[in-house]
Amino acid sequence: MASVSRVLTKRILLTKAFPAATRCSSRNIHFSIYGKKDNAKVSDDISTQYPVVDHEFDAVVVGAGGAGLRAAFGLSEAGFNTACVTKLFPTRSHTVAAQGGINAALGNMEGDDWRWHFYDTVKGSDWLGDQDAIHYMTEQAPAAVVELENFGMPFSRTEDGKIYQRAFGGQSLNFGKGGQAHRCCCVADRTGHSLLHTLYGRSLRYDTSYFVEYFALDLLMEDGECRGVIALCMEDGSIHRFRANNTVIATGGYGRTYFSCTSAHTSTGDGNAMVTRAGLPCQDLEFVQFHPTGIYGAGCLITEGCRGEGGILINSEGERFMERYAPNAKDLASRDVVSRSMTIEIREGRGCGPEKDHVYLQLHHLPPQQLATRLPGISETAMIFAGVDVTKEPIPVLPTVHYNMGGIPTNYKGQVITHPDGEDKVVPGLYACGEAACASVHGANRLGANSLLDLVVFGRACALTIADTCTPGEKLSPLKPSAGEESVANLDKIRFADGNTRTSEIRLNMQRTMQNHAAVFRTGDVLKEGCDKMDAIYQTMEDIKTFDRGVVWNTDLVESLELQNLMLNAVQTIHSAEARKETRGAHAREDYKERMDELDYARPLAGQERKPFQQHWRKHTMSTVDPKTGKVTLEYRPVIDTSLDQEECSAVPPAIRSY
Amino acid sequence: MSLLSACASASKRLVTQGLFVESAFTGYLRTASGAVKDKEPLRKAKTPQGRFDMNDEKTKDPLEKFPDDVNPATKEQGGPRGPEPTRYGDWERKGRCVDF
Repeated sequence: MASVSRVLTKRILLTKAFPAATRCSSRNIHFSIYGKKDNAKVSDDISTQYPVVDHEFDAVVVGAGGAGLRAAFGLSEAGFNTACVTKLFPTRSHTVAAQGGINAALGNMEGDDWRWHFYDTVKGSDWLGDQDAIHYMTEQAPAAVVELENFGMPFSRTEDGKIYQRAFGGQSLNFGKGGQAHRCCCVADRTGHSLLHTLYGRSLRYDTSYFVEYFALDLLMEDGECRGVIALCMEDGSIHRFRANNTVIATGGYGRTYFSCTSAHTSTGDGNAMVTRAGLPCQDLEFVQFHPTGIYGAGCLITEGCRGEGGILINSEGERFMERYAPNAKDLASRDVVSRSMTIEIREGRGCGPEKDHVYLQLHHLPPQQLATRLPGISETAMIFAGVDVTKEPIPVLPTVHYNMGGIPTNYKGQVITHPDGEDKVVPGLYACGEAACASVHGANRLGANSLLDLVVFGRACALTIADTCTPGEKLSPLKPSAGEESVANLDKIRFADGNTRTSEIRLNMQRTMQNHAAVFRTGDVLKEGCDKMDAIYQTMEDIKTFDRGVVWNTDLVESLELQNLMLNAVQTIHSAEARKETRGAHAREDYKERMDELDYARPLAGQERKPFQQHWRKHTMSTVDPKTGKVTLEYRPVIDTSLDQEECSAVPPAIRSY
Repeated sequence: MSLLSACASASKRLVTQGLFVESAFTGYLRTASGAVKDKEPLRKAKTPQGRFDMNDEKTKDPLEKFPDDVNPATKEQGGPRGPEPTRYGDWERKGRCVDF
């Protein structure tokens, strides 16, 4: 009887319709394509061991977070046959973790002007942001938020029914002179979740083809143009080449290079690495945002309000060490002072725990009633994430990464650029948006609530630029039949790797090195030591050992590929940080505490001589890596200081940044 | 014998309707063989499930819902529950800070 049912089941599976074009080799390929054209072809061109399927689309979007989804359905709306290749289901992307809101100068709470938002963002970026991109983003912000609201995103409302805006994150009125501005639009406390679900729901109205759980391996480049993407289907191990005239990268950040980060385990900088392997530069990777108190091991952040309500930071000797570093403000000192003090304590051996790599945040000296009323829910949080009873034990904390300002360099339209011979040059066929891109709107430091705005505005910008420059159904540029060979060879090598160190060990080494050397506390010798260690760890990648030799859902293989991507990001980050000899925004150095611009903006400008480009640091870092040796080469690109339209919105000249 | 043919016909029906065969089949088997005979409640063990069972009354959300979902102080409709998340300069919720 059991065998009867098994026979019947098998018959059902066999009678399911396969795409007619697949030749059945020893394994049945059972993916199906939902989209306009059913034109997938199996080819033997690059590998006889892996089934390779060729697809043709007008545009391919890699990544399905906030930016990727917006770009994908923007393109479908414009009539392009679009594929969205993502390694996670769209609503599982890291955008879903953003609880807060989106900044937009709607003016619902008080009179507002997007030019004031522009000023705040330029100042927040410490004058490293490209002012034309910031102009574009802040001018489009109200329209973008209204568009999201029209898609059905349930923003919280005022009594009149307009979108409620709250005060957040360095936003001011009247170019910094008018007090706090209320610009942040939220959806209760789940804005990112709601944004992602709204965009995904909206995208289902258009016929974008989703390739979910496909891991993008590399870009298919020919003659300096991007002709598509090659990806691995995680479900059955087949290789897919997506040929398209336009490729949009929206793969997110690379928080997982550090030991302590708030990012998901899937934030591995795949887009940055794909671009690096294609020989193109990445921009400003040394700017990484830290938060002082992240729970050790879990990566969740504890609010600064804990210290505001009386919590104190203690080291292994039980000493309240902030008294030494900030005698007046003590634990209420600014974030970077607290982060640096914590790191110095850990470096000097007074850290807590078996590895002596974190400090404690003590709250049990406060009356439990006060904790419960002022910080409701904190005991729950501490128990779930740290496993401590906050009324009896301290919480282990250390500085934690939560955002990467750097990424793939683009212009304000979303096109990826390189900088040969002192001029910005567009890479045809390649676009980037979201956290993976560096437009650069955040410059050296990102303001809160600007990143969700960045996603939607530049996702839409990529779609609009592609719609302007191409037409749907255009003939595809020719591609060599052997394109993607190296990616498959690399995949094969990793799948059968039989060295001595496991993937998890190499990854932990890299994460600990980055946390110890390229975190908040940066000085010349610490960074130099870190660079040497990272170069050594990069070489250990040759000795990697994987265990799973299968093709179906081989997570060992995918994690090792992700580790390769993380390594490329990590070496560029630490080398760029070591080279930049100044303190600007999130990159703070102990040995060079001042910003080094072309003029000294602290003193009157009259009579000062402008420093030449090589001698000041108000410039973008463009880093490239030779993937075989791990050698990082650094070049520099000037910041764009003019807005898109000087009459509509005049650019902000650099000044000293003080809040 | 009758049990077998009954199972076979039932599973055949389910299979031809294209439903998941395995789970329906085993579910049918379990009820058919009558494994769950007794009605005595499960003993409360010191397993996680047992602990949750005992603490049923205490699992209230520390953040209370506003009446009609309108924040009385700011008149915000549909906003975050509990005290204002941005009161410490970052976005705080249940002690956790979310940086976006």
